[in-house]
Amino acid sequence: MNKMGPLGAAALLLVSGALAACRGGESETSEGEIKTDVGVTAEPCPGATDQSKGCIYLGIISDLTEGPFRALAVPITDAQKAFWKRVNEDGGIGGYEVDVTKYVRDNKYNPQTHNQVYQEIKPNVLGLAQTLGSPTTAAIINDLKSNSVVAAPASWTSAWAFEDVIIESGANYCVESMNALDYAKEVYNPKSVMAVHLAGDYGEDAAAGAKLAAQSLGMTFSAVKTDSGADKQAGAIQAILTAKPDLVIVTTGPADAAAIIGQTVARGYAGRFIGTSPTWNPALLQSAAAPALLARYEQSAPWNAWATDSAGHKAMREALGSVTPNDGYTSGWVWSYSMKAALSKAVENGDLTRAGLLAAAKSLTSVDYEGMLPSGAGNYAAGPNEGAVRVTAIYKADRAAATGVGQVRDLFTGPTAKAYTLDGPCYEKL
Amino acid sequence: MAELIEAVLRGLGTGSVYALLALGFVIIYKATRVISFAQPAFMLAGVTMVTYLVLEVSFWVAVPVAALLTGLLALGVERLAVRPMVGRPAFVVAIITLGVDVAVRVVVNAFIGLDVRNVLDPWGLRTVGIGGIDMQQRHLAAFLTTAALVAALFAFFRFTRMGLAMRAAAYDQEAALAQGVSVGTVFALSWGLAGALAAVAGTFAAAGSSVDAALWLIALTALPVIILGGLDSLPGAVVGGLAIGVLQELTATYQNHAPWLGGNVSVITPYVVMLLVLLVRPYGLFGTREVERV
Repeated sequence: MNKMGPLGAAALLLVSGALAACRGGESETSEGEIKTDVGVTAEPCPGATDQSKGCIYLGIISDLTEGPFRALAVPITDAQKAFWKRVNEDGGIGGYEVDVTKYVRDNKYNPQTHNQVYQEIKPNVLGLAQTLGSPTTAAIINDLKSNSVVAAPASWTSAWAFEDVIIESGANYCVESMNALDYAKEVYNPKSVMAVHLAGDYGEDAAAGAKLAAQSLGMTFSAVKTDSGADKQAGAIQAILTAKPDLVIVTTGPADAAAIIGQTVARGYAGRFIGTSPTWNPALLQSAAAPALLARYEQSAPWNAWATDSAGHKAMREALGSVTPNDGYTSGWVWSYSMKAALSKAVENGDLTRAGLLAAAKSLTSVDYEGMLPSGAGNYAAGPNEGAVRVTAIYKADRAAATGVGQVRDLFTGPTAKAYTLDGPCYEKL
Repeated sequence: MAELIEAVLRGLGTGSVYALLALGFVIIYKATRVISFAQPAFMLAGVTMVTYLVLEVSFWVAVPVAALLTGLLALGVERLAVRPMVGRPAFVVAIITLGVDVAVRVVVNAFIGLDVRNVLDPWGLRTVGIGGIDMQQRHLAAFLTTAALVAALFAFFRFTRMGLAMRAAAYDQEAALAQGVSVGTVFALSWGLAGALAAVAGTFAAAGSSVDAALWLIALTALPVIILGGLDSLPGAVVGGLAIGVLQELTATYQNHAPWLGGNVSVITPYVVMLLVLLVRPYGLFGTREVERV
């Protein structure tokens, strides 16, 4: 320090002070006319396209190594990196580019780990570009709320409609299952429905949607809770074989779904299956369950698959280049639009603080999904019921399709989902 | 009646997988007095090798080659991580095997990748029907393979010099050493055998299903099996494995008569059995009763 002299020391202090204020400090500063606090810097992002722009840091917490949804989570994360790269190349958001690469953490689909890594990155990020999983995000939701940290979820529970800090996209599991039953009623007219589901928001939300729809459509309903793991499905398999429902709504991981569908069909079950979107993985077409999947399985989905012809889908395929098609990419891409809209609105309002971003997100009346969701989607200002997106597409296993599933029905809203008043998280009604 | 018989047959199929895994645990325990918690990792490594090998050669070649390679892997791990610990308390070595398990699985998970993998077995989910009773071919194959391997192991321990050496070392290591038995070779061979058996078990666990990173959890069921059969009894491992498999399937089949137990009680039945055995007969059905003089 002595060698630097008093001037050098003063400069160092100034620089370190400025860094603290920009990166982790809670004190508000103004960059030009835009107010900022946490996770926004005047310095460019690492590897910035335009070095003259500041940087907005967003965190990603996903299931990247050993959790049950990693086959979806890794492409989701890659698609989000590509999405924000495209945003930056198109001029960024106001005077800023967006970084989603520096604060990427693995939650291993474990709520405790999720909270731990969230606490690690919280002082450095404005919001979360991705928080994967319902139970995992539930572990940090109170912290998100008390610190006004806006987050784009990678899950579809109906609880998110009631949380201002969560900017969800697409229909929730509850609405998805209602639409699945409306579709089934029209095509197969089942008399009895069984929901086979994982515990927690993911499975229970879908099961509750199926129950509410079955009640309104005059079908008998039963629910069977199961655990994650292909070897843990014996109970669910037996329950299906005993009750012999006409239709089973499956809300599990892909390996579990394959075990349930493959083995019940092998043991003589004659009904049909509709799985929520995370039940599918293209590799299942190589498994022993493939013939059963091809014959009896359909997938409900909150948006259309990889190969769809829309501006958003095209932009996604271009941005990702020659990857193996996977609808994890599609989901990651769609989920990013609402955060982009919220950031743009916040910059427009001149307030890129956490509170400013939250206010901007709450005031959004629509999000431009470039045709991946119908216009009017992303209306967070309208509240949970009016703002809820209620469209679902139906796919079936198809070896010729890019992601192993081919469209059976384009995005539609069934009469049950249309009439339903979303007055609380669905899973509370199971 | 048909339902009951079919449940028992399914149980014998899954029980065969447990038996093969448990045999690995017991072989290592008998030779080294250590419970090796690395067996789940060897099972996952073996079955993952099969998923790669079947893309190049037929299933019938892939499985023995993967078993051999897994045996060599186990042998290498024993040499590097366990042999230097000879003479240390068994507890320390057991903890080291836990570390080995995690390390090997991390590497194997990288090979499994994101998607589920398949062993492309010839049975799939097809069944054979005899007199109105259906049995899945993969269960029949698992049972027959286990029977053949158990017979071969019995012959090996009974009729070969190395088998005799292993039995001698299991009985009294120092006495065996004094008689010229290479206890080091016995250790290595026991790890190699256990690794190979785990690879075969993993293949049958994945037959008709698929391979993902969570498959290793199946191997944990071998712990209740060896507690039931007796830690140091090879017949105990086989009988215990089949018994636990059958019990689990019967519970799954008839659990709807006791809905208050929940929808997936069969998953925990092996552990309930383990608890009961530990309370009533801690050395298991066929294990050696320890006599302690105080």
